[in-house]
Amino acid sequence: MQYCSLVYLAAFLPITLLIYALTNKKKRWLVLLIASYIFFLSLSGKLIVYLLFSTLSIHHFGLWLDRLNKDRDKEVELNKENKKEIKELYKKKMGRVVFLAVLIHIGLLVCLKYTGFFGENINNLLEILNFDFRFKIPKILIPIGISFYTLQGLSYIFDVYKGKIDADFNLGRLALFMSFFPCIMEGPICRYSDTATKLYEGEDLTYKNLAFGAQRILWGLFKKMIIADRLNPFIEKIFCEYNSLDGGVILLGAIFYTIQLYADFSGTIDVVIGSSELFGISLPENFRQPFFSKNISDFWTRWHITLGTWFRDYIFYPVSLSKPMKKMTLNLRKILGNHFGPLVAGSVALLCVWLSNGLWHGAAWTFVFFGIYHFVLIVLGNIFTPLIINICKRWHITRTSKPYVFMQIIKTSILVVFGELFFRATTLSSGFAMFKKIFTDFSFDSLKMGTIFKLGCDRADFTIILLALVIIFMVGLLKEKGFNVRELVTKQNIFVRWTLYYLLIIAIVIFGAYGFGYAPVDPIYANF
Amino acid sequence: MEKLIEILEDLNPEVDYNTCTNLIDGHYLDSLAILSLVAEIEEEFDVVIPTVEIIPSNFNSAQSLWTLIEKLKEED
Repeated sequence: MQYCSLVYLAAFLPITLLIYALTNKKKRWLVLLIASYIFFLSLSGKLIVYLLFSTLSIHHFGLWLDRLNKDRDKEVELNKENKKEIKELYKKKMGRVVFLAVLIHIGLLVCLKYTGFFGENINNLLEILNFDFRFKIPKILIPIGISFYTLQGLSYIFDVYKGKIDADFNLGRLALFMSFFPCIMEGPICRYSDTATKLYEGEDLTYKNLAFGAQRILWGLFKKMIIADRLNPFIEKIFCEYNSLDGGVILLGAIFYTIQLYADFSGTIDVVIGSSELFGISLPENFRQPFFSKNISDFWTRWHITLGTWFRDYIFYPVSLSKPMKKMTLNLRKILGNHFGPLVAGSVALLCVWLSNGLWHGAAWTFVFFGIYHFVLIVLGNIFTPLIINICKRWHITRTSKPYVFMQIIKTSILVVFGELFFRATTLSSGFAMFKKIFTDFSFDSLKMGTIFKLGCDRADFTIILLALVIIFMVGLLKEKGFNVRELVTKQNIFVRWTLYYLLIIAIVIFGAYGFGYAPVDPIYANF
Repeated sequence: MEKLIEILEDLNPEVDYNTCTNLIDGHYLDSLAILSLVAEIEEEFDVVIPTVEIIPSNFNSAQSLWTLIEKLKEED
């Protein structure tokens, strides 16, 4: 059962909504929890034991930290003179508990997700070194959403440890936070402080929430079914048969894959946020017009936002602000100045972030390369910023002028497209081969001769996709200029509003890629 | 407070820290400047700024930063 499937949209979601509405406010959280577990069971079957284990374990670690917190406060109360020493002692104790929680949960994630990857690479190394021994690599089934709920669970533990939130004694509320069905498969990665209470409160259904939720779901289906699913055969062909294609087609393939990934992921997130909105629960946004980004750092504050903020809060700051790094920043600042002083600490932290980001997406060298690629681009961006500022000053270029910003957006989009090419490539070597062909075998022949329209998408497909992209671009542009598009639609009279809704529905029904002859793209991010 | 303004002016002298209330949201302080700022504040005021406190509402103005420093001193 996927978010954009008929079973989910026409049966699971309305039935859950109906039972939720008919249930007493105090028990509504239970409806959501049962629905979430049914949803998980439908996807991963008996692998639900992993989710149950993680939930119980995270709950237990939270209570453990809470007990240590209370013990510390009691001791401080009794022995105020040694307040600092007691706090330091308990900080260490709690740190060990957090370390154990990380070890268990990241360990489980690594075992399930990366055993095959590490095993294969060790076997390759043994072969190179002429050893006869080979590791037997077990086939491991991975529960859906483990990368998402593990990060959510750990963020809860870190926040309890840091005193940002109190531990939750209510196992039901924590279980719902860990498993809430709209976001278990592809995120957004929620924080306990933002969503847990809202999930538990059992909000009443309102006309506004139902209307906004349905509107958001339709918008997501528009992106996913008209663009991502329709592009699927073309993308499959390009990335499988790149050997027989010229560089021009490969470049187009990389551009359209980036568009497909955006339409698939952001479209699914629209369905997810819309589903949640129906119940009156607002989830954090995961996208903010990423293709209006001025540089790669900016792009990652607009694309998969909740993953980026997770890495920022739980890896970037803890690493770059660890004691030795802070000392280094203070010393280097005196020697290298304001900009380059903190750059070393920042870069070390960024390396940790991007290695984690790459590996989080999957167990393959393509993902490791994807992470390192972004790390290098961001560090280079940081290094050359003062130089670019100086050049602009010298040449009297206003960095906020429209042509300059436009060039920045184009440059960032090109870098993103190349990154996504490696991200989608079947192997790292095929990624490099495709990249090389773009520069060594570039031609417009397939466009001129029309052979590009025989690669899974014909002229009609591309026309539909381009028209849909124009609509998405216009909406994005309005949002970028600060307009609240949804409020704008709501303010229209009933005739205009429903005409827009019907047009959207008709567009999905007529131009959506579904039924015989179409294989919709599997939700790409659900595999991570 | 004066010492804090001094640290901030050292990081970016082009801002009026007595009136500016969007140091983060207005991109006057980027992530690298925040690393320097945290390290300098901790060194100067002998406090430890937990990472959970590195949020725009605490870093958007000199006043909010000062309030954070005072809170951390009190907790110590």
